[in-house]
Amino acid sequence: MEVMIGLEVHCQLATRSKLFCSDSTDSRESAPNENTCPICLGFPGSKPVVNRKAIDYGIMVATALNSNIARRMYFSRKSYFYPDMAKNFQVTQYEIPLALGGYVEVGDLKVRIRRVHMEEDPAKLSYVGGDITNSKYVLIDYNRAGAPLLEIVTEPDFKTPQQARAFLEKLSSMLEHIGIYDPSREASLRVDSNVSIEGGNRVEVKNITGFANVEKALGYEIVRQRGLLRMNMKAVMETRHFDAATRTTKSLRKKEAEADYGYIFDPDLPSITLSEASIKKVADAMPELPDQRVARISGSYGLDEYQAKVLVYTDKNLADFFEECCTRYAYKDPPHAANWIINYLLKSLNWNMTAIKGSKVRAGTFIEFLGLIDSGTITERYAKELIKEYVDTGISPTELAERNIRSTPKINLEEIVSAIISSNRQAVEEFKGGNARALQFMIGQVLAKTNKQADPNAIKELILKMISEAK
Amino acid sequence: MNKGASMTSVKEHIEKARSGEVDLKAFMEEVMERTRAIQEKYTPFITINDNPAPPASKGMLYGLPISVKDCLCTKGLRTTAGSKILNNYIPPFDATAVSRSLSEGAFLIGKTAMDEFGFGTFSTNCAYSIPKNPADPERSCGGSSGGAGCVSAAADFPHVAIAESTGGSITAPAAFTGTVGITPTYGRVSRWGLIDYANSLDKIGVMGKEVYDVALVLSAISGEDPLDSTSHGGGREDFTKSLEGGIAGMKIGVPKEYFGEGVDERISALVWKRIKELEGEGAAYEEISLPLTEYSIPSYYLIAMSEASTNLSKYCGLRYGLHGELSGNFEEYFSKVRSEGFGDEAKRRVVLGTYARMAGFREAYYLKALKVRSKIINEFRGAFKRFDVIATPSMPVLPPKFSEIGGLTPIQGYMMDILTVAPNLAGMPMISLPAGRIGGLPAGIHFIADQMGEDSLFRVAAFSEGLEWK
Repeated sequence: MEVMIGLEVHCQLATRSKLFCSDSTDSRESAPNENTCPICLGFPGSKPVVNRKAIDYGIMVATALNSNIARRMYFSRKSYFYPDMAKNFQVTQYEIPLALGGYVEVGDLKVRIRRVHMEEDPAKLSYVGGDITNSKYVLIDYNRAGAPLLEIVTEPDFKTPQQARAFLEKLSSMLEHIGIYDPSREASLRVDSNVSIEGGNRVEVKNITGFANVEKALGYEIVRQRGLLRMNMKAVMETRHFDAATRTTKSLRKKEAEADYGYIFDPDLPSITLSEASIKKVADAMPELPDQRVARISGSYGLDEYQAKVLVYTDKNLADFFEECCTRYAYKDPPHAANWIINYLLKSLNWNMTAIKGSKVRAGTFIEFLGLIDSGTITERYAKELIKEYVDTGISPTELAERNIRSTPKINLEEIVSAIISSNRQAVEEFKGGNARALQFMIGQVLAKTNKQADPNAIKELILKMISEAK
Repeated sequence: MNKGASMTSVKEHIEKARSGEVDLKAFMEEVMERTRAIQEKYTPFITINDNPAPPASKGMLYGLPISVKDCLCTKGLRTTAGSKILNNYIPPFDATAVSRSLSEGAFLIGKTAMDEFGFGTFSTNCAYSIPKNPADPERSCGGSSGGAGCVSAAADFPHVAIAESTGGSITAPAAFTGTVGITPTYGRVSRWGLIDYANSLDKIGVMGKEVYDVALVLSAISGEDPLDSTSHGGGREDFTKSLEGGIAGMKIGVPKEYFGEGVDERISALVWKRIKELEGEGAAYEEISLPLTEYSIPSYYLIAMSEASTNLSKYCGLRYGLHGELSGNFEEYFSKVRSEGFGDEAKRRVVLGTYARMAGFREAYYLKALKVRSKIINEFRGAFKRFDVIATPSMPVLPPKFSEIGGLTPIQGYMMDILTVAPNLAGMPMISLPAGRIGGLPAGIHFIADQMGEDSLFRVAAFSEGLEWK
């Protein structure tokens, strides 16, 4: 029973103005329906004018996806009645989209791209007092209406939800590196998926936000469809909605046949002709893509490939941060920096539910932190505690360390070790009898007394020394 | 104000107004009074602008009264496109053609009647008033710009009408009311603010009593507009300069398909008489054939209805269109609003247009119609390699009585379009002007030119007009 998964990814392009009018696309600070005008509200008599910046962004993405860019492209009207569209048609691309074909390599999997097209985002609906299946009424916010969306459609090349998630993470990193996408904006990457299992029908799961949710939704859907097949039932062709709260999918509507959108060419928008030169100009100005960056930073900084991939694919800003530490602040041991970023900085950031951008962490203070470890001023063990406080406050690690040392009474390690040895005679005997765990136990006891500030290696040395001297 | 003075020509009036010889405040009051009198007699207006703003500048249209077809948005003044579904719609902006006229110093007297959304040939498919023909109030003014034609004929003061044509909606009323109507090249005048019928066909044009009048106002409103991507032609052109161009050496093509069965022989005779007169004055003519003419009608209707059916989708009672009582789900609600708000012809066109673009049919209808349009454009282009203009009758019949129209089936109505649909489909500019009268009723001659060939049209039209006055 082979699983086939295809994705449709909607990426809101981070242009300053909307696709067909000059309203701002950034509504994070705006009241509902503030960023609207007669064009994106579809007033009678208004006409759209294409934002060429959005087309340029589309060309960059299509180039990165190895897709064939149309030399002449058209916009079409996709007609259906729905309250999120003031005109009751969506301006999109149909017969001749921005680009066709292409691929993305995700590990060993080569994901084929079917098409890349540009369209306007519909308005945002708020289901008051419930969700789409049970709310009593709906509020409409047209701030989003007319924002440029790029739809990237893959072939059904994924066999597992994990592959789909890995693709999305890579795609997201690509879009960030191209600089046309701002992941901090609300719902800027939305995913529809098609799932089918050999012998069943194709089911569409719509409007999933967040890559973890994509994996969950697909996982649930595969289990559901397998269950049906085991009972000799076929999954019906339908559109389902992912409910993040229950982690299940619910049926939205049955599809008797493919929906009929009655496409026509949008007669208000002349075709756009792209010259070879204009495509080349955009492609030449293309920033470094994630795969190129992984190769470059692992080579020039001596990282292993795993480190480079985590830095680049987790968050472009994290890779930027790493490079800032090593170039602007000339940190001398890049693999060590990468190790601390990947293993401990990232953990603290995640704990605070923040990303590097928007956190209080700065490259200047972070290399100060690494310097404290390198010089032996603080122990690695203590550093792992200190980094939490540093990520929390952003205060200079040197200052934090000094402050903590001042507030902690001076430790007399010999006194503590001596006290632990004399009060744990049995452990000493067991250690002498060859039980290594007894030594670990004593180290732990000492460490606890020092509030984890002492270096475990130093404790170990001291315990061994005192036990042997006591002979 | 001396009442007789208001009967001056547009040209003379603007000259006098600019030189300060006209008391504009008194003139405007007088014009509004006469506008109301015309409305009482012929009902060409949907809305009269009770308090027109005084001229914004001493521009090229200083102090000129204009009327505007009701499908063009006028800021703060009700705009219905002749449909009940847009009753009481007040636009927040002016159409570019309107704002350009006003900024040149014109003032707006009212919004003229039309077939609902332009769907008609007689201005009888009207949700509001049906304009009556000043030549005989029992007869139609033609459509869909019937109100514009009516006011142009009836105005006993200098006046120019801004009108619109999708498939012949300027030529038909110009012919039936004995006025001049220019339909410019597609894209010559910005469509910003035009309530769409069929966007790839809609053209804003001008109607008036004399060729000079329409040339002047077209000069004021034409030229590229950043608000309409399909507008073109660079900056503004002064078409009044073409009026003195003359016709020496002009080549006129006379297509036999436009003189066939169904064209009133008396009208053909008037048109031929005029062509021969032009020949006598230095032009040359040749009879030609445009064999694709018959295919223009199905192609036109498929494209026009496909586009119209999407344009009308927004009138569903959510943001636009009548607001009904909120009941049922969204589909039940909008179906109710649309059933009540649209007239029968609008519903017919929505159904046909939707059908023509449905999966399984769009290849055979919509997409094929687009291909036919390309062929028709090429046929015209071929003809315009040899000829400066093509001359035809404007309308095949004299203005019909309202009582006669009722007996026509929709298909018979569509057949009336044969003379105007092909050049409209091809986006060619065309001008209709009086060719004479038959039993007191006006008949029109139609000149068509290549895209952006308005200069030839104004040359031949001004010359023809001069012949009539000789």
